[in-house]
Amino acid sequence: MILMVTVDDGYGMAFNQRRQSRDRAVTQRIAALSARSALWVSPYSAALFADMPEAAPQLHVDAAFLSKAAPGEFAFAENVSVRPYAPRIERVILFRWNRRYPGDLFLDLDLPGPAWKLTSAQDFTGFSHEKISMEVYDHEQIH
Amino acid sequence: MNKFIKGLIGLCAALLIGGGAMSMPGGEAEPESSAASYVEQSETSSWSIAESSWPASSFDLAGIPAFSGNSFVAINNNIPSFTDEELSIVSFEVYSQLDALGRCGPAYACLGQDLMPTEERDSISEVTPSGWHSVEYDGAYLYNRCHLIGYQLSAENANEQNLITGTRYLNVEGMLPFENMVADYIKETGNHVMYRVAPIFEGNSLVASGVHMEALSVEDQGEGIAFNVYCYNVQPGVVIDYATGESTLSPENSASASSEDTTAAASADPQAQAAPASQAEPVGQTYILNTNTHKFHYPSCSSVDQMNESNKQEYTGSRDSVIAQGYEPCKRCNP
Repeated sequence: MILMVTVDDGYGMAFNQRRQSRDRAVTQRIAALSARSALWVSPYSAALFADMPEAAPQLHVDAAFLSKAAPGEFAFAENVSVRPYAPRIERVILFRWNRRYPGDLFLDLDLPGPAWKLTSAQDFTGFSHEKISMEVYDHEQIH
Repeated sequence: MNKFIKGLIGLCAALLIGGGAMSMPGGEAEPESSAASYVEQSETSSWSIAESSWPASSFDLAGIPAFSGNSFVAINNNIPSFTDEELSIVSFEVYSQLDALGRCGPAYACLGQDLMPTEERDSISEVTPSGWHSVEYDGAYLYNRCHLIGYQLSAENANEQNLITGTRYLNVEGMLPFENMVADYIKETGNHVMYRVAPIFEGNSLVASGVHMEALSVEDQGEGIAFNVYCYNVQPGVVIDYATGESTLSPENSASASSEDTTAAASADPQAQAAPASQAEPVGQTYILNTNTHKFHYPSCSSVDQMNESNKQEYTGSRDSVIAQGYEPCKRCNP
């Protein structure tokens, strides 16, 4: 599974059961990156892609999306713990907002950490965020 | 359309939508007749509510747990108290008149893109909030002039009805993350957010014990933004006398030195609080701000040489005050 997540400066993902932030530039990148594969999302995240017909062919909406994403397929997680699925995560695509938000759900992977190798990083301008950083981490054993 | 007119239209809309009523944190709905008590504050292009019509807050400070290392605590399971009748899709902002002790009251708004700033923030050093002391611990200022409704949301500069004496910790760790979340949501969606921030004073204290912050996104009925929190006006390692604003290092940190500009010391006498701004404004490190990228640098940083002159701005003050304005430290010179 290739996991995609968005985090703030403190690796927060959500607060009060809501995503910390959103940006259409990130959503478009997620759709583009997963265009030749499957993109698994929760019903909560599906709303972000409602107005993106280009994402419809690869979009799979399922409450158990992290269980169902197969090797090489993409999963976008916003408001759930990902640690239980860590053994199946071969790559993480991390989008950093470069902002501080309140958080009560945090990315619970040891990232960055010895098991993960940063393979690429780039910044881009979002619609509502001045600078978003995209970092790709490959798992040393799984990948 | 200027902000003043927009505020007037928005306020009228809010009163119409709300059936002529407006409820305040924990307070009762205000009767329709109180609409006439809103008065124009032309100097700040905002609105103020006459003191006599502002309902007393029933916020129960006794119900708040003691600070234990988290900058905020959720209230009412994080469910804000806005009623359906309050929800507005027209932006407005209202501020309380200062009370007899010179203290701010609740600030209330329907935030939208049209209220957000289009230019850099002006100096706010001319305002001396109740309980203000210019005091440093270990080279960092204890207090900030802390916006109730942040500049990035309201474009309010030196509005004395919107500035309280808040610790650096309250400003940067407590309130700023919530303001960032609301601001970025509004920019992304174009939606409106009902927003209320009330400073909570214990008795006649001049410094608030904390601030009660509530927000609810309107068009999506809270799907995007919903919170109800109390942020502690504390500074770890420092003991604050909230009655006066005076402070000391906590016993375990008492070996460190502190210094205070006594000319700016606060007093219960509102006249005495009108200390010259130049005496109260902290003087600290000089930084170069990039107004385009919102990074800040040491003047000697190599990035400064590559910066477009039109984006370059010199700033002298504390590191925290730069961060509180939404700037981030350069990763090259790490100021």
